Amino acid sequence: MTMAPERPAPPQLIPDARPASHVGVRVALLAGALAIVVMWWLDPSPLHGAGAAVTAAGRLAGLLGAYLVLVQLLLMARLTWFEHAVGFDRLTAWHRGLGTNTVLLLVAHVLLIVEGYSLSDHRAVASTGWRVLSTYPSMLKASAGLLLFGLVAVTSGRAARRRLSYEAWYAVHLTAYLAVALAFSHQINAGQDFVGHPINRALWWGLYLFVAVELVRGRILLPIRAWWRHRLLVERVVVESPGVVSVWVRGRRLDQLGAEAGQFLLWRFLAPGHVWSAHPYSLSAAPDHGRLRITVKDAGDHSAALAHLRPGTPVIAEGPFGHFTLGKSVGSRLLLVAGGSGIGPIRALAEELVRRGTRHHLDAVLLYRAGHVRDLALRDELDHLAREAGLRVVYLVGHRSELGSDPLSAAALQGLVPDVRSRDVYVCGPAGMTHNVLRAMRELRVPVRQLHSEDFEMA
Amino acid sequence: MTSVGPIRTDPAQRAALRRTRARRVVAFAGMLTVVGGLVGLRAALTPAPTQALGSSGLAVETGGSGSAGGTSPTPRHTSGGGSTTARRVVVGKAYDVSYGTVQVKVTITGSRITDVTAMSLPHGGRSGDISQYAAPQLRREALSAQSAHIDSVSGASYTSAGYAMSLQSALDQSGR
Repeated sequence: MTMAPERPAPPQLIPDARPASHVGVRVALLAGALAIVVMWWLDPSPLHGAGAAVTAAGRLAGLLGAYLVLVQLLLMARLTWFEHAVGFDRLTAWHRGLGTNTVLLLVAHVLLIVEGYSLSDHRAVASTGWRVLSTYPSMLKASAGLLLFGLVAVTSGRAARRRLSYEAWYAVHLTAYLAVALAFSHQINAGQDFVGHPINRALWWGLYLFVAVELVRGRILLPIRAWWRHRLLVERVVVESPGVVSVWVRGRRLDQLGAEAGQFLLWRFLAPGHVWSAHPYSLSAAPDHGRLRITVKDAGDHSAALAHLRPGTPVIAEGPFGHFTLGKSVGSRLLLVAGGSGIGPIRALAEELVRRGTRHHLDAVLLYRAGHVRDLALRDELDHLAREAGLRVVYLVGHRSELGSDPLSAAALQGLVPDVRSRDVYVCGPAGMTHNVLRAMRELRVPVRQLHSEDFEMA
Repeated sequence: MTSVGPIRTDPAQRAALRRTRARRVVAFAGMLTVVGGLVGLRAALTPAPTQALGSSGLAVETGGSGSAGGTSPTPRHTSGGGSTTARRVVVGKAYDVSYGTVQVKVTITGSRITDVTAMSLPHGGRSGDISQYAAPQLRREALSAQSAHIDSVSGASYTSAGYAMSLQSALDQSGR
């Protein structure tokens, strides 16, 4: 249980109430793929015989694979348009969902090309493969690139992630940039669609340059600018309960950061052991008075080490990200559902609500699901909000086997919150729980636009 | 390193994982189907093969390896000013390369190379594909370089070398 765990679950394209603006992004990405198909189609070489057909399929697989690699980079480039339209969590889910298939498509490219050449030349596959590798330009580099892509994919699988530290995974993942660079020259120098086609070649270069510029802007320049503007520093580290640590960060002009309760940032602490990785942690308190707070449960080497951060440690934060904010609510009556570590952003939302609720009558219910009492975090603060502000807090503790039923089933939720249909529902927790709660809400006929969720489990 | 909590191993979590995996498998199958479908469509729309090499429509003149070509000067009137410029067609030597024979024919107008036509290139299968894309590029390079000092086309290095040698032999014969 963490505010953002070290062992991410698989991506979940959880149906939620987010506006359909991601359709535009999907259409744009598909249009790019279509443009590449057109380029491939316009290549004049005739398609006679099995060899030529298989080779053509291999070329198309390679072109689309290379395009998907660029899409993968772009999804993670913090493009403002993508972040607003799709949201960081969903972009990450897309990235994870596409990753394996991208590498598989590249493998298919190699197999189809070699098989196609071997059919055309009436040679054995092995000798054809060797000939391509040894005589075609830039093939050794491209092969090295594919090996790296394979390594990146394998280390991102669930089984490997369970065994690898975040830092090791991250280091391997960074080599994807090297792989992209290694693979580029064989496309330009040996690719039938580019050799002798200056226009295609220029467009391809342009595509790569665009992605490179966006990456440098989004992943390097923007964080540096944000650090310069806000000068975030660790103010203090508070041990909330065994294994649960809150980090308070202060900085300048935080109102201009635009962070809201329910959002998260990517945190990079400039201290030994932290510099090389940025972690997504949600704000666990409503931003106020030049301070931000995150709360993290010890679930991995990085989060455990947070307890040892010294006051004054500089912090680079990317973001804020996320659509999980009160601004998205349709009405003023809320149901907040937290599972495990989802309590961080839910707690921040509750606090923000109480702050606003001084003007209105506060009508909110907070359900907090945990397997065991010891897994409940920030309980004092929740109790305080309940006592002082009239927030209704319900702890749903215990394993399903002990309880005999799922306390978050449609029937149970109906019993706990009879007027659920008139409420905006905010769900944050492990993917499986979030999915189940959203399904229960649809069973209870809660209008979809009143459902809000954030899959906080991401890389 | 603690385990991440009881809810993570929930059946709901496992079901979500299974759904994700199934979705990815379907997505990959979809990608392969699209690629295969497009290739099938394109193959179906491609006209039947023709014997002519490239678009020149020239019959292939066979020449033994290293055999001498010949010059066939033909006077030609240009349209402008009434001046005449000699237009000659010179056939280069044929060179055997790895996957076939390369022989070119050069048209020289005055002292300029105005056309280069491949009379023979490696053909059939993969080699034919390479010739198809290499020949136009080699011709462009020769016309712009006005010599046989042309860059090799990637992926067609043998063909490029034979092309340059045959071109050079034709230029040598032309006395240009």
